[in-house]
Amino acid sequence: MKDIKTAIFIAYKSLVKGSKSTLLLLVFILALSYLNMMFISGILAGLQNVFETTMINVLTSHITVGPEQEPEPKQYILNADQVRRQIESIPGVLATARHYSLAGSISFDKDKNGITKSVSGTIIGIDPIQEEKVLTIYRLLKNGQYLSPTDTDQIIISSALAGGYGVPAPSDLGGVRAKDKVKITYPNGVIRTYTVKGIYDDTIGIFETFITTREAESVLNTYNSASQILVKTDLSLNTLNGYEHKIKLLEPKLKVQNFLDILGTVAAFLNALNLISFIVGFISVLVAAITIFVLVYINAISKARQIGILRAIGIKQRIVVLSYVLQSLFYAFCGVLAGAFLVFAVLTPLLNRYPINIDFGYLSLVHRKMVVVLGTISLVAAGLLAGFVPARIVAKKDILKAIWG
Amino acid sequence: MITVTDLKKTYEGKVPTPALKGISFEIKDGEFVAVMGRSGSGKSTLLHQLGLLDRPTSGKIILNNSDVLALSDQKRTIFRLKELGYVFQEYALISEFDAWENVYLPSLALKGTPDKKRAQELLELVGLADRLDHYPNELSGGEQQRVAIARALINSPKVLFADEPTANLDSASSQTVLKLFLKLNQEFKQTIVMVTHEPEDKKYVHRVLWLSDGLLEKEEKTGKKY
Repeated sequence: MKDIKTAIFIAYKSLVKGSKSTLLLLVFILALSYLNMMFISGILAGLQNVFETTMINVLTSHITVGPEQEPEPKQYILNADQVRRQIESIPGVLATARHYSLAGSISFDKDKNGITKSVSGTIIGIDPIQEEKVLTIYRLLKNGQYLSPTDTDQIIISSALAGGYGVPAPSDLGGVRAKDKVKITYPNGVIRTYTVKGIYDDTIGIFETFITTREAESVLNTYNSASQILVKTDLSLNTLNGYEHKIKLLEPKLKVQNFLDILGTVAAFLNALNLISFIVGFISVLVAAITIFVLVYINAISKARQIGILRAIGIKQRIVVLSYVLQSLFYAFCGVLAGAFLVFAVLTPLLNRYPINIDFGYLSLVHRKMVVVLGTISLVAAGLLAGFVPARIVAKKDILKAIWG
Repeated sequence: MITVTDLKKTYEGKVPTPALKGISFEIKDGEFVAVMGRSGSGKSTLLHQLGLLDRPTSGKIILNNSDVLALSDQKRTIFRLKELGYVFQEYALISEFDAWENVYLPSLALKGTPDKKRAQELLELVGLADRLDHYPNELSGGEQQRVAIARALINSPKVLFADEPTANLDSASSQTVLKLFLKLNQEFKQTIVMVTHEPEDKKYVHRVLWLSDGLLEKEEKTGKKY
């Protein structure tokens, strides 16, 4: 205990009377390292978050239930409303919506001169009321209005397919707007003309259009079926796998997938982001540790005579080393505190207020608790180690050599 | 108090340099002894061995009944803190501590609580009662050396070693320091071993150990009684 008290006293005096510029430089470097680590991991987590959120909100929801695959793949889920009710009875399931997926050739005569442009696209049959509880397409309208259940002769289409928004593409319709008419030719030979009720902002560039369930059933000549049922869940109550498992227990023959399964290569990309974030964090910690090591070493070398005097008057080597470790701990603590202030009190609120527009969403910093805790611990640990090693090297020097050089 | 037997120290290198070639002597409790000799005679080397700042090549040193050369590094450090006081030629104060803190630091390391009262008394004894909160760079050379002496005394050492303590001081400051040593020896029976190159310093001590070329040339009693 007396060794600790002595070390604290020496460290305190060194900090109070020592070089303020060294202190500021160390704290500044540590703060920047912390900022770098948290910013990179935060922005990558934010990117992942935007991507996942967009996918969940406009394409897949959390879980997608498809038709039976064994012994032979079926085209539809039958008695879809009953299946939905069963799934909705699972605690934590917030809502479900059934979809009909149709393919079709969509044509548009922009100048009304008989020259039409046709593109292939996916036509999804939805119940607009159910859909609002699962996907957020209704909130993304750039032009016109959202569908209502009785709008059997109307359609909403994505901005990417409509064209005229952003960069023109050969695969778009050349500039469809609300109230225009488009014609769809379905593979079964049915041809329908729809009035465009709305154009929604398709942030991920998927050429989808939406018609009502009633219209889709009329085209497909079916009833109470679904190509898929989307399930929205409360992830604070259970995990994705937990929900998947419960749905499989209720509907063992249906194909149940979570959004990461569906996204496939995109999920691999998201995992790669995690790896990049880890590598960048590791490099930040390493750079911070090396910087502290160099600065503490220079500081200790410049105080070699002082360390020699301390040892000559009977101060134990371990007290000297501990005093340097305590100083490094103080530097690390101040650095992390300053870095945390920059990250959590300045940069994060700023990016929350002014997020970066990255086409498929708005990017801000997302801090995962584990990353913050691990990053902070690693930086403090690196600071301690980087303070310990040079102090030990200098404190181990011969007393007379340390004093007289 | 101190028994030195056949003490040898050779500095290793491309050409080994013998600095002490086998020195033996005794110093009694309460004695004030000067170690004198020409430059390079081995005075400071001898004091470094006695003050446990260096390890001799061979020989034996008994300090206060302890065979100090048999001690581990850790125990030597504790012995230095508890039993010995050391005054260097160049003051050797910690620049980040004021005079008071410089003096009480060894008591903090020994007991876990700084003996501030004794540190104050010692600074009063060395005539620096009004310099307690002064940092080394705010003190003159003589004042710094007196702070160093007060620091060396804080843990009531059995022996006080002083390595040419007046070498860097003007004559007035030198007199102050030497009179202080004399007072410590006479009033407090402090055993003192002082390396000096000033022949007139003989008048303060009981005995002089004359070194020459790493050997004890002669022992000279000054006639002062202790």
